Amino acid sequence: MPAIIETQHLTKRYGSLIAVNDLSLSVEQGAIYGFVGPNGAGKTTSMRMMTTLLQPTSGEAWVAGCSATRDPRGVRRAIGYMPDFFGVYDDMKVWEYLDFFAACYEIPEATRTVLINDLLALVDLSHRRDDMVDTLSRGMKQRLCLARTLAHDPQILILDEPASGLDPRARIEIRELLLELSRMGKTIFFSTHILADVAEICTQVGIVEAGRLVAQGSLEEMQRRLRPHRRLTITLLGRAEEAQAALVGREGVVEVRLAAEPAAAAAPALQLVEVDFAGNDEAVSALLRELVGRGLPVLRFTESVYDLEDVFMQATKGIVS
Amino acid sequence: MTTTDAVATLPPAVPRARRTLRQFLTSNPVVLKELRGRMRGPRAFAVLTVYLLLMSAFVTLLYTVYVVSINNVYNGAGSQVVGKFVFGAVVGIELLLVCFIAPAFTAGAISGERERQTYDLLQTTLLSAHALVLGKLASALSYIFLLLIAAFPLQSLAFLLGGVAPEEVLIASGLLVATAFLFGASGVFFSSLMRRTLGSTVLTYAFALLATLGLPLVLVAILPLANVFFYNASVGPLAEAVLIYGVGVLICINPIATAVATEIILVSNQSGFYFTVPLSNGFALPLVSPWLPFMLFCFILGSLMTLASILAVRRAER
Repeated sequence: MPAIIETQHLTKRYGSLIAVNDLSLSVEQGAIYGFVGPNGAGKTTSMRMMTTLLQPTSGEAWVAGCSATRDPRGVRRAIGYMPDFFGVYDDMKVWEYLDFFAACYEIPEATRTVLINDLLALVDLSHRRDDMVDTLSRGMKQRLCLARTLAHDPQILILDEPASGLDPRARIEIRELLLELSRMGKTIFFSTHILADVAEICTQVGIVEAGRLVAQGSLEEMQRRLRPHRRLTITLLGRAEEAQAALVGREGVVEVRLAAEPAAAAAPALQLVEVDFAGNDEAVSALLRELVGRGLPVLRFTESVYDLEDVFMQATKGIVS
Repeated sequence: MTTTDAVATLPPAVPRARRTLRQFLTSNPVVLKELRGRMRGPRAFAVLTVYLLLMSAFVTLLYTVYVVSINNVYNGAGSQVVGKFVFGAVVGIELLLVCFIAPAFTAGAISGERERQTYDLLQTTLLSAHALVLGKLASALSYIFLLLIAAFPLQSLAFLLGGVAPEEVLIASGLLVATAFLFGASGVFFSSLMRRTLGSTVLTYAFALLATLGLPLVLVAILPLANVFFYNASVGPLAEAVLIYGVGVLICINPIATAVATEIILVSNQSGFYFTVPLSNGFALPLVSPWLPFMLFCFILGSLMTLASILAVRRAER
């Protein structure tokens, strides 16, 4: 798959502070790329360099085959950018806002009306068409800004924290919208520090910390690399030490840890056994059969799959600049 | 999602001239946006009404005061003087208006976008730097021209009274347009340099003050010296010429001085284009009427500032 966004040794220095340090990432065409990192990691700075808003100190960024430094117009034609913080104009209606930006993208006047109606329908704001932009709620403003980025039908969407400050329902709506846009064939590159969003929809992930890219790849790849074993979580009503003893030394078992769930109001304390296991599905099933066969009170037997939190905590060192 | 082909929805045929004008105005998205916002609701018309009421009230007051102080208004010559006075008053107020209102319209052009956090949204579109800068300038100037045109009827009162020739109206209009362009462009220029509108407004008004009050202050400093110079018998005609040209240049960069000087020259010489000043050796030094170099000066400086704004906007943040 060809890379539609590529950065090579992208660096941004402000005096002695290095905001982005030798960033080399690549995004496949059609991917949903989650750009993850703590606050101050350099996500926004990297994105501003990719979207031609900021000159890098060194290194290059290519978007849709155009260099961000040498062919900014080509990049702008190919992308729709939504910054983290953006304002709206007062004295403007919702449709006029889209009309203005459609005109900025050189969309001919004759086609604009239909386009605006389509965009409003896509982000579910048709009912607010004639309202003033500054009367919209934050979630609606975010959706409107997303509609704005789609005016010229770009191949790539670069979104800086598209779900920031949104209530849970609005966040899920944005997520669904991004999935739909991806199904239409667009490449989506968005930054966030909400790992749940990334785990739900991303096909590729890049983790940055203190300006450096510490991990990149698909979720499965990263999981395999950073935690090569399967993690089984066994919840027992009791006799956890017995279970641990039964498991330790068994073929495929790498490590067994004990934990305890906090006591619920009416139920007794539950005991957890975490097993790092290197074995196939049959081996996992055999393990469960072994435990049940010994008469141990197994309540839940699960395998954590998309545990991006673990991956993230392991990849980053907790450096916040 | 693809942009729908809308061949079937071509706009209905309109008269050719109107379509061209509308297309011209609306082809720049910034102009279209700014005009839509500015003319929305009753505010624009309220401002226009208040402005005209104030102008009318002021002119009426001046007229009354002047008439009371002279006795023969209904004599032809007398009414001509009053007519000239009314015309001068209206143009004078408009000149001051342009000097100090034009900056208010443009000092927030680019810095306002930065403060409102919409600048990044604009920069990542295909809107070119020159379209943004020229659009902001054009929309601000169009509103100022609206105010100036709305005051034409007040100027034309002077025609009723006499004493005002068509050339004076044309020259006055030219001066106002040139001044509006210069101060509007200066507002956009400072706005493109400063991050905050407050800083931009301060610099723009400082520039306006310098341009309007700077000359009188300089003249107040220079004239005593010039007097000494002139009455010194050993000063040659060349030095005199240099001095006259020097003062001429100073006059030509100040809108008020230009207006007054042009009027004086028009009245005394009956010529709107050039006049002569006799030197001590009898040679008639040719001088062009101040309004021509003034308009050229405004056009050149305004264009340079506009160009600088475009370059500032085009440069990506470093």
